[in-house]
Amino acid sequence: MAAPHSSDLQTRLRLYFLSLLASLIQVRFLPQWRRWRELHKHKTAMAALLLGGSEKGSTKERLLSTLDDLEVLCRELIEMLALSRNQKLPQSGEENQILDLLIQRDGEFQELMKLAFEQGKVHEEMQLLHKEVEKRDSDIQQLQKQLKDAEHMLATAVYQAKEKLKSIDKARKGAISSEELIKYAHRISASNAVCAPLTWVPGDPRRPYPTDLEMRSGLLGTMSNLPTNGVNGHLPGDALAAGRLPDVLAPQYPWQSSDMSMNMLPPSHSNDFLLDPPGHNKENEDDVEVMSTDSSSSSSDSD
Amino acid sequence: MATPPGVPAQAARPSEGPGEEEEEEDEEEEEEYSFLPLVHEIIKCMDKDSQDVHQELNALKNKFQEMRRMIGAMPGIDLSPDQQQQEQRNLRDQVRTKNELLQKYKTLCMFEIPKE
Repeated sequence: MAAPHSSDLQTRLRLYFLSLLASLIQVRFLPQWRRWRELHKHKTAMAALLLGGSEKGSTKERLLSTLDDLEVLCRELIEMLALSRNQKLPQSGEENQILDLLIQRDGEFQELMKLAFEQGKVHEEMQLLHKEVEKRDSDIQQLQKQLKDAEHMLATAVYQAKEKLKSIDKARKGAISSEELIKYAHRISASNAVCAPLTWVPGDPRRPYPTDLEMRSGLLGTMSNLPTNGVNGHLPGDALAAGRLPDVLAPQYPWQSSDMSMNMLPPSHSNDFLLDPPGHNKENEDDVEVMSTDSSSSSSDSD
Repeated sequence: MATPPGVPAQAARPSEGPGEEEEEEDEEEEEEYSFLPLVHEIIKCMDKDSQDVHQELNALKNKFQEMRRMIGAMPGIDLSPDQQQQEQRNLRDQVRTKNELLQKYKTLCMFEIPKE
């Protein structure tokens, strides 16, 4: 039973010494181990940088990261140097490694600074491009506005032109010869003048003012839907009493209705006005001539 | 002692040709953004056991702060170079497209005469 006991004790003693040795090693080499871990971290970061792992970040991030690395490396180097100076220890290879890393990172930092300045120049160009884009945008908007205005104006002009064409077509369809128009103008000036024709005698239906029948046949009468056949005869009393008005006095004036044309009239009266009493055609034309001169002279006199 | 960053170091020397001047300026800029001269000064002071080491250490610390401030204020470095190039290409394309559009608007015949 003694042999197992002694072996157990030996095992325990071995374990104790081993743990003691491990703790001594840890206490002695802990700062160096920490430094080594830091260095390893830097080496890993450097490898990532060389492999292009941090190329994806912005230049600012890379600059700040490199600056952080530089600061850590500077601090480590100075601490190690100070420690070795104080403890009079010979320089280890770690200091050289850190120095190499520091030099490498410093070079990278300068390259990054150059890149940053170049990016600053590119940024200025981009600002100019931005301004140019804004200017083009405003130009395009202004041009679009002008085009819209022009389109509106042209649309209005086209609409008005179409309306005018419609009215021209309408006028062409219901064309009245100029001679008829002139005759009608003469008739108006003859019957609505302030002075009676020379040949006027009592019983002549012509009046120096529009008769009721004419008023009813006119535009205002049409708009008010007044009967135009002269019911209750508002014709002049003397004309009615004398019974001199012919049957053809029915209010059918070719110039007052576009539907009627002169072709509907009898051939003998195609160029005459129905209101005119029969047998006065030639005379009336003469009267018209006289009346027109009278009315013009009278109007000039009245003025 | 390195000059403080951000201040362009102009060499007051007689001109030696434009190429040489540019090279000198580049070298000075590189030194301006390098930390090695300060570290070298610190190591020298430590070797000599000089009291200036604290001053040099402060200068190094200040330089780090100054560089951080400078990096924070630098324009156009929020993007990577590739992204920036891409954006620049996009902007150029935009300008070209808008120029073409304007030209098209100016030379466009807006009126179609109906054939009757």
